[in-house]
Amino acid sequence: MKALEAYNLRKTYRQRGQRVEAVRSVSLAIAPGEVLAFLGPNGAGKTTTIKMIAGLIRPDDGWVRIGGRDPHNDPEALRMLGAVLEGNRNLYWRLTPAENLEYFGMLKGLNRQIARQRSQELLKRFGLDKRRTPVQTLSRGMQQKLALAVALVHQPRLLLLDEPTLGLDVEATEDVKALVREIAQEGQAILLTTHQLQVAEALSDRVAIIHRGAIAAEAPTQALIQQFSTGAYRIEMVNELDPVRVETLKTLGAVVQTGRVISVSRLEDLYPVLDILRPLPPIRVVKDQADLTEVFLKLVRQDAESIPG
Amino acid sequence: MLNLFLAELQRIWTQFRRYPGEAIGGIIVIILLFYGLFLGSRYVAGPGFQFGSRLDGIIIGYVLWSLVLFICFEVASNLQIESQIGTLEQVFLSPFGASKVFLARALASLTLNLTLNLGVLLIILALTGSRLYFSPSLLLPLVTVILAAYGLAFAMGSLALLLKRVQQLISLFQFALLFLIATPTETWHGPLRILGLLLPMTSGAGMLRSLMARGQGLDPGQLGLALLNGVVYFALGLLIFRAAEREAKRRGIIGGY
Repeated sequence: MKALEAYNLRKTYRQRGQRVEAVRSVSLAIAPGEVLAFLGPNGAGKTTTIKMIAGLIRPDDGWVRIGGRDPHNDPEALRMLGAVLEGNRNLYWRLTPAENLEYFGMLKGLNRQIARQRSQELLKRFGLDKRRTPVQTLSRGMQQKLALAVALVHQPRLLLLDEPTLGLDVEATEDVKALVREIAQEGQAILLTTHQLQVAEALSDRVAIIHRGAIAAEAPTQALIQQFSTGAYRIEMVNELDPVRVETLKTLGAVVQTGRVISVSRLEDLYPVLDILRPLPPIRVVKDQADLTEVFLKLVRQDAESIPG
Repeated sequence: MLNLFLAELQRIWTQFRRYPGEAIGGIIVIILLFYGLFLGSRYVAGPGFQFGSRLDGIIIGYVLWSLVLFICFEVASNLQIESQIGTLEQVFLSPFGASKVFLARALASLTLNLTLNLGVLLIILALTGSRLYFSPSLLLPLVTVILAAYGLAFAMGSLALLLKRVQQLISLFQFALLFLIATPTETWHGPLRILGLLLPMTSGAGMLRSLMARGQGLDPGQLGLALLNGVVYFALGLLIFRAAEREAKRRGIIGGY
């Protein structure tokens, strides 16, 4: 059974007398153990979609199932859901990490004994067991790790992570990334939104890009990157090429960009080009590979051009 | 539900005692208020309602007024604080449902508030050697008032959920509360008497006045009506809150501030 199924979600708001279509026909599914990066520019409809999935915003149309149950009508669905919403603002700042974990465990329906036991396990696992001070005195990274631990205290099947690495330093970001990987390996499904596309690329199995309230692309992360990679090769030389070589390269279809950088669009042209360059010293030969940032920008720009207004 | 209440009680107690300076300050305020009452500064008891001229009546009047004020604004202020600190959405993600969680919170805050107030009162009694005489029958009308007060608290909470900032409304509502608690509706006659029975909390407050100031006994019929009044307002408050929750989810404004 899918950990999450969302079908044809729609939401329209009224703002200053105008109808604003925040989300138009969004469908998503996540299997246990899978990480779906849900990406989109500001105002694209990510947060509205996540909150519809969590049961915090009622969709105008469509439905959501978490482990087969409807979070809008069935409290059992909420037992299968953990969420870190809006950065670190999910904790009681006057309570210690252990007190927060125990309280939220009970708020999720665990009895005191189990909540305390899970709290101790998570504190140890997340390296928070020595922190006996109120949350407000912890570093931003520690607070974020604790927010993640709190979302896991009742062992949910689906975890919603809204910008989990926002504002964290490099080390804390790596810690959170490692934890997210671990959690997914244990079988929990994760819906991740982030503006840090390298984080999404590193963590996700699949990517869904939302723009202007609709899904612009959804595919396995690596397949999407391959689809947007040109397959061209780029050769950088130590010195500028002489005019004779430049002319010969042009006849082979290679493009000499700055006198020292040559672009070859097909693998079969690469070796004839290298023969011509012999014995000049190259700096590097690299295959042009798109990254998620490029893919994201291309898709969003394409989509902007195709939809007027 | 008991587990949830205990979790809330523990959270509220831990937050209260985390910063001892603040906690001690709160207790000193309670001590000063009660001590003021004992020294004869009756105006401290609240504007214009003392259940008789005896100290017992003044204390009951003060406790009722402060309890009703505390209860009525508890849900709304809790919602506003949670919304500001960013934990409100987590409350709405609880499988218990928001109304149960806020009820458990309100009961836990009331427990802490009552414990502190009664604790201070007992210490002052011991120190001054004073004696107060309260009949246990006072508790029954008090419960009816508290039930209706919780109903109003959930109605105020609904406004906070939908409008977010309700400080000005709360200030205005204090005057309405004063009218409901202090007006002697039990002395009204004819159609006004029926109105008195329909208004929230007035029947229970009237019974307390009869018991304390006029030395009358407990009238079971009157108590039944007061209890019905409390239960109806409590249920109405919860229904309004659930409707407000649905509306806030439809508008997508839960958690926003």
